[in-house]
Amino acid sequence: MKQTQFVKSNSVSWDEFEALCEQNNAESLPVNFPNLYRKVCNDLAIAQSRQYSPVLIEQINRLVQLGQKRLYLSRSNQFSEIWHVARTAFPRALYENRFMLGINLLAFWGLALIAFIWVTIDPDAAYTFLGQSTVLNIEQMYNPSGSVQSAERGASQDLMMFGVYIYNNIGIAFQMFAGGVLFCVGAAFFLLFNSFYFGAVAAHIVNVGFEGPFFSFVITHGSFELTAIIIASAAGCQIGYGLLNPGQYTRAYAMKQAAQKALPLIVGAFLMLVIAAFIEAFWSPRDIANEIKYLVGSGCWAYVIFRLYRGMRYGA
Amino acid sequence: MLNHGLENREYIKLPEGVDIAITPAGVVARSYAYIIDFLIRSLVLLAVGTVLAFFGDAGQGLILIAYFLISWGYNILFEMESGQTPGKKRLKIRVVQDNGLPASFSQIVVRNLLRPADMLPIGYFLGLVVMLFNNRFKRIGDWAAGTMVIYDDELATRPELSQGEVHIPTISLTTEEQLAVLAFAERHDELSDARRRELAAILAAPFSAEEHEIEAQLVSYARHFAGQSQHDSDYPQQEGKQ
Repeated sequence: MKQTQFVKSNSVSWDEFEALCEQNNAESLPVNFPNLYRKVCNDLAIAQSRQYSPVLIEQINRLVQLGQKRLYLSRSNQFSEIWHVARTAFPRALYENRFMLGINLLAFWGLALIAFIWVTIDPDAAYTFLGQSTVLNIEQMYNPSGSVQSAERGASQDLMMFGVYIYNNIGIAFQMFAGGVLFCVGAAFFLLFNSFYFGAVAAHIVNVGFEGPFFSFVITHGSFELTAIIIASAAGCQIGYGLLNPGQYTRAYAMKQAAQKALPLIVGAFLMLVIAAFIEAFWSPRDIANEIKYLVGSGCWAYVIFRLYRGMRYGA
Repeated sequence: MLNHGLENREYIKLPEGVDIAITPAGVVARSYAYIIDFLIRSLVLLAVGTVLAFFGDAGQGLILIAYFLISWGYNILFEMESGQTPGKKRLKIRVVQDNGLPASFSQIVVRNLLRPADMLPIGYFLGLVVMLFNNRFKRIGDWAAGTMVIYDDELATRPELSQGEVHIPTISLTTEEQLAVLAFAERHDELSDARRRELAAILAAPFSAEEHEIEAQLVSYARHFAGQSQHDSDYPQQEGKQ
């Protein structure tokens, strides 16, 4: 068939098809739309195989693209999906990524413990690991006569610290997620650095005898914050591992799969860090008896551990 | 396969059994879009910051939260709606899935959360290198999310040819050859005389035409390929063998 005949016999149906594609998404399509779409696909294949003019092929190509979008209309994207992710997808992802999570949990707490023991045995090591100015800073912060927990801190300062924690902590979590793509290196580095730092600081605080203000300050928000950082690291490592060991898939496909598998983890970690920032800014610095803080902190830890266990064990 | 070489196009295999062509957006278009978005973000932050600066410590906290939300959320928010940030809209490019359909929420989030990896070590260097090593110009975030950035409206890109004589070639050409003739006709005004003759000579070989008239002949063929007709009434009868 000559090109002009081909165009002549089909142009009416192409115009109709285009009109259907461009009508409002809310209007329902006729029942035979899939047939029309397949016909246009067929026309494109004919035009391509008969070497018709590039301009004509381009036109039909555009029609197919329009029809594809209309027919396989994907669900409209909504932020409310985040709640779905937090409620059901997050626990499920904890289960699906349980091995990677286990490794990260072990790495974090293992290295923190090593740092803690090391600095407890050899107190001067704190200066080697943390540096003089950091040590002085921390000592000043958690000095029982100091400023970290006092009634004087006003509401506006609380809000400022809330901003700092949101910006800083969640930024770090997202960077760990992204860093994990680079063969896990980015995520693992941040995780191990933070773990060692945390262990060394805790041990040094105990050495100088400031453990009261320190532990009563960190215990409550630490439950959400530390766990979220570990989860973010596991999410990043999952993608990097997909790239390193794609199994029977291509690397591109394995990476794509791993990213979708790990996404609920980072969304969950994000929400946990928002909770942690809230506690850290508005609850932790309150001048309340340490016993109450330990009680509330233990409650938070129990809740986080319980949910983490249920997630990793049963996906619920 | 189809015309791979002449135009910067990629083919997606559909379940319906045909390949459709898309044009991935390259480094330059995406950099421009990024710069526009960056400027918009900076202006918004500046405005927010100026207002909140009057509110002391609380204002500082809110500035940090705004900075966090805008720097991470800007792209996610806009790309979620239509696959286009204001910068991308300006450049007429769009984020889509690997199969050409609009990208989903989770894909948009993944491709934007992975930006820090692309930014390493400085100024999107790593992302740039990764983009230059694949045909679809995917950065790391695009690989992980299964997305790509393509030009939106393909049809507008082909310029109109001048009106004039229309001839139908006596031999049939493949689509790719037709495309070469078309591209020559579209651009021959911009070329120097020597270069134009050189290119025409390459294209002329199969037509066995006189050297001085080949350029006009190629343009008249191109008009035919572009859809201009000889004489509307008797066009079908006179058409050459296709």
